[in-house]
Amino acid sequence: MSNLHEWEPVIGLEVHIQLNTKSKMFSSAPNRFGDEPNTNIGVVCTGQPGSLPVINKEAVRKAVQFGCAVGAEIALVSTFDRKSYFYPDSPRNFQITQFENPIILGGSIETAVGEEIKTFQIHHAHLEDDAGMLKHFTSFAGVDYNRAGVPLIEIVSEPCMHSAADAVAYANAIKAIMEYLNASDCNMEEGSLRCDCNISIRKRGEKQLRNKIEIKNMNSFRNMEMAIEAEIERQIALYTHDPDAIIPKGTYRFDLEKKETVLMRLKEEAEDYRYFPEPDLPPLLLSLSFVEEIKKTLPELPKQRFHRYIEELQISPYSASLLLNDKPLCDYFEEALAHTSNPRLLCNWVTVEFVGRLKDSGKTMGSSGIPPNHLAELVSLIEKGTITGKIAKLVADEMVLAPGKSPNAIVQENPDYQPVSDSGAIEKIVDEVLQENPQSIADFQAKKTKAYTYLMGQAMKKSRGKADPSILNAILTKKLESL
Amino acid sequence: MYQLSANAIRDLILKGEISALTMVQTCLKRIAHHDKEVGAFLSLCAERAVEKAEKVDAKRKKGEPLGKLAGVPIAIKDNIHVEGLISTCGSRFLSNYRAPFSSTVVELLEQEDAIIIGKTNLDEFAMGSTTENSAYQVTKNPWDLSCTPGGSSGGSAAAVSARLVPLALGSDTGGSIRQPAALTGVVGFKPTYGRVSRFGLVAYGSSLDQIGPLAASVADTALIMEIIGRHCSRDATSITAPSENYGKQLLQGLQGVTIGLPTSFIQDLSKEAKANFMQAVDLLKSLGCTTVEIDLSLLKQSIAVYYILATAEASTNLARFDGIRYGIRSERAKTLDEVYEFSKQEGFGPEVKSRILLGTYVLSAGFQEAYYRKAQKVRTLIMKQFASAFANCQIIAMPVSPFPAFPIGSFQDPLQMYLQDIYTIAANLAGLPAISVPSGFSQDQKPYGLQLLGPQMHDGAVLHTAYHYEQATTFSQIPPRFNNEVLG
Repeated sequence: MSNLHEWEPVIGLEVHIQLNTKSKMFSSAPNRFGDEPNTNIGVVCTGQPGSLPVINKEAVRKAVQFGCAVGAEIALVSTFDRKSYFYPDSPRNFQITQFENPIILGGSIETAVGEEIKTFQIHHAHLEDDAGMLKHFTSFAGVDYNRAGVPLIEIVSEPCMHSAADAVAYANAIKAIMEYLNASDCNMEEGSLRCDCNISIRKRGEKQLRNKIEIKNMNSFRNMEMAIEAEIERQIALYTHDPDAIIPKGTYRFDLEKKETVLMRLKEEAEDYRYFPEPDLPPLLLSLSFVEEIKKTLPELPKQRFHRYIEELQISPYSASLLLNDKPLCDYFEEALAHTSNPRLLCNWVTVEFVGRLKDSGKTMGSSGIPPNHLAELVSLIEKGTITGKIAKLVADEMVLAPGKSPNAIVQENPDYQPVSDSGAIEKIVDEVLQENPQSIADFQAKKTKAYTYLMGQAMKKSRGKADPSILNAILTKKLESL
Repeated sequence: MYQLSANAIRDLILKGEISALTMVQTCLKRIAHHDKEVGAFLSLCAERAVEKAEKVDAKRKKGEPLGKLAGVPIAIKDNIHVEGLISTCGSRFLSNYRAPFSSTVVELLEQEDAIIIGKTNLDEFAMGSTTENSAYQVTKNPWDLSCTPGGSSGGSAAAVSARLVPLALGSDTGGSIRQPAALTGVVGFKPTYGRVSRFGLVAYGSSLDQIGPLAASVADTALIMEIIGRHCSRDATSITAPSENYGKQLLQGLQGVTIGLPTSFIQDLSKEAKANFMQAVDLLKSLGCTTVEIDLSLLKQSIAVYYILATAEASTNLARFDGIRYGIRSERAKTLDEVYEFSKQEGFGPEVKSRILLGTYVLSAGFQEAYYRKAQKVRTLIMKQFASAFANCQIIAMPVSPFPAFPIGSFQDPLQMYLQDIYTIAANLAGLPAISVPSGFSQDQKPYGLQLLGPQMHDGAVLHTAYHYEQATTFSQIPPRFNNEVLG
């Protein structure tokens, strides 16, 4: 990594999210992904002359829900504008968007970046309609207007992020909010969540922003992270090579193979969009009571869970964010939570052990068939000392292989998993360990506490993890003290 | 029979004295005889009309309830969609465009058993005041076939004037219903903006466009307005207020209505036009109206404001005509840019091209503040001036056009042509209801029109005043000389 002590990256994100409304932003055509081309279309989203747009109230409601969720100001009067550009995927050759008076103003996103809790500012969010999609064939190109007119909310951040990790955490947090609101599928591969990253760097301490470039078309957060990192590297190298360099404004894409950003077009070539108020849509007026009603009926949000996890459940911010960024996983955790007294341990087993075990199968906790209470049961077996951590891992393996079988049953059926609580057998093991480790005994007598832990470990190992830790502990202490 | 009003046709059909089929056939026959000379229609839907007429007659025979326009033939301006019929909008670009849906107005009319006869000529995309900008044909004024019927709803106006149909729909963005109505001696009404749904009207200047009727009388105008003047959920600018019974409102007395006169605004009128206007005002006074001076000096700016705002909106409304999805696609085009460029080149006429250019220019970065934004501000001021005027009067009277019908081809300079819209544009800028009602003739027997305007949503008051004026005169009942000649 280049010199980040000297250089500060400045990143702003434009997150475009398709709202999962039944119909499109300005018409009654169905809003559905994956159907045969040009089947979910109507006179409005194919730009027929004589057709008129009508605002989808469900899309407005979802946008307002988002605004309330991020503590933004909801504009009681917002307006729509025409944004003109010619392209075959644009059925009217203008997009209807909110340029001058967007529906959502300000707001902030609080999330963990690693173990650090950070707050990122939103500049505004506005509603608009999506374009169709061009499909290229060998001798011609076709346009699929199924996507044309799908409601989009574009959430524009302040240039308030300073690393790829910041950007990914911010985008993840927005995705989580949308999922908790049930406002979008947020599927980057299907394009229902798309990020444009604006990136510049400046010398640390420098007040002014330097020229930024924009990266588009990244289809996963992982790619976005790599793209941002590559772009920061590129800019640092440019300025290092020539301190007076002026980076031209431009739009880039990320080449996954070369792991570098590639110029698509310079901004100087950018069009004049000739924004002006959409005469077919009067200002969108919202009543205070409508906004209040939405505020009151918001579902539990990731932010509330986040605070509950770290404050009440003592879960680390990073682990909490692992849960929160995956709504189904988090919901699973919530269910298991009702059956456990050790949320931290449960969190670890859910987010690390089980997610890791399921990773390659393509399954999620939800689709694994393992009931949430079984996880709680496993945690409780560990907590009570019925099984050791090491055996718990073996039990977990079996839970994945035979979903639905309870950890209790697994342990009961397998004598190897049952703890040795026979003190005679344990005593024998302790004797052997003491005999094999005279140096540790000396260390113990010299008040080196590590020696005790070491001896415990050795004895546990000899028992293949099955010795009841409390009995083992008692016997080892007694033996050492009597030496 | 062709001279029957829409109200009379409906009544006779309800009574069973005439059949809808006979009525439709009468209209089709007259069109066949006379429209070669007039050129009002771009297309007819005879078969469809006959079918509908037979259905109306069958309904009547079965004793089923009939609609308010039972069996009344009606012509539709060709920028208003009738499902399944070609909507050319007077443009080569849409020569092959079959409307995939009916406009709300057409649906409402057909629900009331009106019978659509055909589509009428217009200036391309309603851009013009003479119907000469049509890509297809020049429509002639039935009062003098060497003259234009005005425009852009010239086809609809000429069709009603020549009594080819009793009723027609037009659209009015800057006077396109009222001016041709005045020039052809019929009644033309532009409703309050939002009173009639624009769904299915091919947009020119969306914030100014309004569909309205052309008819031989105010009573027929009121009748059709009762049907089409209602809320439409498919047009977000549609007014939600319930529809009104205008016919009933007509019958109230005119006593005590105060008419505002913008005297200084009309001082440049020709002697004859001014005399015609003052005569109309005197008649209104004799009917019990009082008059008051009002200041509408800002209306001098209305042409400039209009040609900025209408063209700005038009430049984006017409952007969809790109040769990709519908309409014509140039056969010369090999690349995407060529599809855009050549299709527009071949599909649009010169007036449309220049208005798109003008509209694009006034919206461009660096010019938008000086033109589009400033024009919006002046528009607001014009609205305010109207509001002040209406504080002192209920109705404003104005001429419709500075002069009666003029010879085809007389305007070579579009700027000169734009100036004749000086009296009509302001109603569109302020969204006001305004009517043109026949007010007499020039020395050479060409009709004049009187314009009456009301505050927004006072459509009934405008129709009411016009009705009483019309009842006190005979101008609406005088058929054009064209009729005399042909029928001899």
